[in-house]
Amino acid sequence: MTNDPGLKIVIVDASPLRAAILEAGLREAGYLNVMRLAEHSNLLARLHAIDPDVILIDLEDPSRDVVEQMFQVSREVKRPVAMFVDQSDSSTIEAAIEAGVSAYIVDGLKKERVRPIVDMTISRFRAFSRLRDELEQTRTALEERKTLDRAKGILMKMKGFDEEAAYALLRRTAMNEKKRMVDIAQSVITAADLFK
Amino acid sequence: MRRLAIGFIPLTDAAVLIAAAELGFATTEGLEIDLHREVSWANIRDKVNVGLLDGAHILAPLAIASSLGLGHVRVPLVAPFALNLNGSAITLAHPIYEAMEATGHDLSSGLGVAQALGEVVRARAAQGHDPLTFSTVYTFSTHTYMLRHVLAAGGLDPDRDVRLVVVPPPFTVESLRSGLIHGFCVGSPWNAVAVEAGVGRIALLGPEIFGWAPEKVLGVHARFAEAEPDVLRRLVRALHAAALWSEAAANRAELAHLLSAPAFLGLPAEVLARMLEGRLNTTQAGLPRENPDFLVLHRDGANRPDARHAAWIYAQMVRAGQTTYSPDDAREAGAVYRADVYDDALGIAPAGSSVGDPVKTCFGEAFRPEDLADYLARVKPA
Repeated sequence: MTNDPGLKIVIVDASPLRAAILEAGLREAGYLNVMRLAEHSNLLARLHAIDPDVILIDLEDPSRDVVEQMFQVSREVKRPVAMFVDQSDSSTIEAAIEAGVSAYIVDGLKKERVRPIVDMTISRFRAFSRLRDELEQTRTALEERKTLDRAKGILMKMKGFDEEAAYALLRRTAMNEKKRMVDIAQSVITAADLFK
Repeated sequence: MRRLAIGFIPLTDAAVLIAAAELGFATTEGLEIDLHREVSWANIRDKVNVGLLDGAHILAPLAIASSLGLGHVRVPLVAPFALNLNGSAITLAHPIYEAMEATGHDLSSGLGVAQALGEVVRARAAQGHDPLTFSTVYTFSTHTYMLRHVLAAGGLDPDRDVRLVVVPPPFTVESLRSGLIHGFCVGSPWNAVAVEAGVGRIALLGPEIFGWAPEKVLGVHARFAEAEPDVLRRLVRALHAAALWSEAAANRAELAHLLSAPAFLGLPAEVLARMLEGRLNTTQAGLPRENPDFLVLHRDGANRPDARHAAWIYAQMVRAGQTTYSPDDAREAGAVYRADVYDDALGIAPAGSSVGDPVKTCFGEAFRPEDLADYLARVKPA
């Protein structure tokens, strides 16, 4: 691998978990100079102090507009920053934007030196959002299970069913009404609350 | 029904777009607008660029900067509809405003505010204090040019005598409270939010600086305008109908209510209604400052993208040192504003050439689009 271990990389991301995952990936790939910034206040001054070669920023972070201020050649800015991707890189722009991340590099830095960093960032951002989706699904499944259990409990108590019969009734009703079992279970809970 | 993904930033001047999407004006034109709330202007530009958005509520200067490739890759955008004019204000930290009051200048006038601010900045420099820091929401914005114009009118060099930074709107209140910034020029509702929070005082309304300033436009990618001219015309017609409705005083309460929803601005409807009316409280205790042109959504041809406004924006970019003057770029900037698409969509004859200052400069050198080079030579750098 021909990565530049010395490139100074800053990750601006309010999600500490995702930033940590990205940082770990970059370190594994041999980049030693990786910093994370989660706090927005005075971001520009801190970026100037760090003077990074590459800035990776979460697309959901309003501070992107702060970073873009550095494009402007002014007396205060030491090195102008430009987005890595130029016109010929439209597929990279697209991939980055869809993954939810944006990259900026100092002017004059060769594209080839930054490409592996950007590719790694895109793939880690994608992996993170897959993980988050899975977590969300698991959480939903757990909640649905709780709803079913509560509805079964109500049926067992009110109608003297055993657990199997309560479950069978919920399933049969769901099939008859062409609804999901969890929706029927929720109706049972709502009705029971009303009759309380 | 053609579906369109349109981005917006939660600001009062997204009103016409939100009304078009939510109140049936788009449906009438056979369009279904899916609104996407975005957190940065950079996101808006990039998502329009890669096609995740078909169009967006965008800062007019950003649409032009993007088309000229200033500060970023060149993304050619076109603006067939101006969503509003004006709508901004300058808010200052209380101690700064109090120091300005002590100068004896007339703070009810724009020039008076500029001169008082200039005096305060110079006095602080003489005492060896750090320069004051002011923020806007994006470098390529009318807010930036307004602030620089005021500073220049106060005899200041905006790049040397003060610090100009970008602070995203959601962080402005906290930045003013913590003293990271001493004032800002931003769009509605953020001045009112800072006033309500008690951290600042509105010193000047936008139309007291430029009476008729371009602000947000509908921006679409040039390839979209090229590929689907009919859809674009329908979108312009939907926005026109929405703007007409939004401007009417009788609909103000309903519009404020619509905008107040959490999915849009998520602010109290009565605060938003005051903006739409042009009556802003300058302090927590009240003290309203009024201007009927505070936020113009439709009247007097406000929606027609006036190429002279694009020329003014380009001239301010040169004045601010964001680019150097070239007649080619000036022409290209003017071509971003597509009055022809607007006229075509609404079936109106092209307007004759207008005379006078198209932005109604309130103090300082009046803008003369007929001779940009001459204007730039005369105007104070800002």
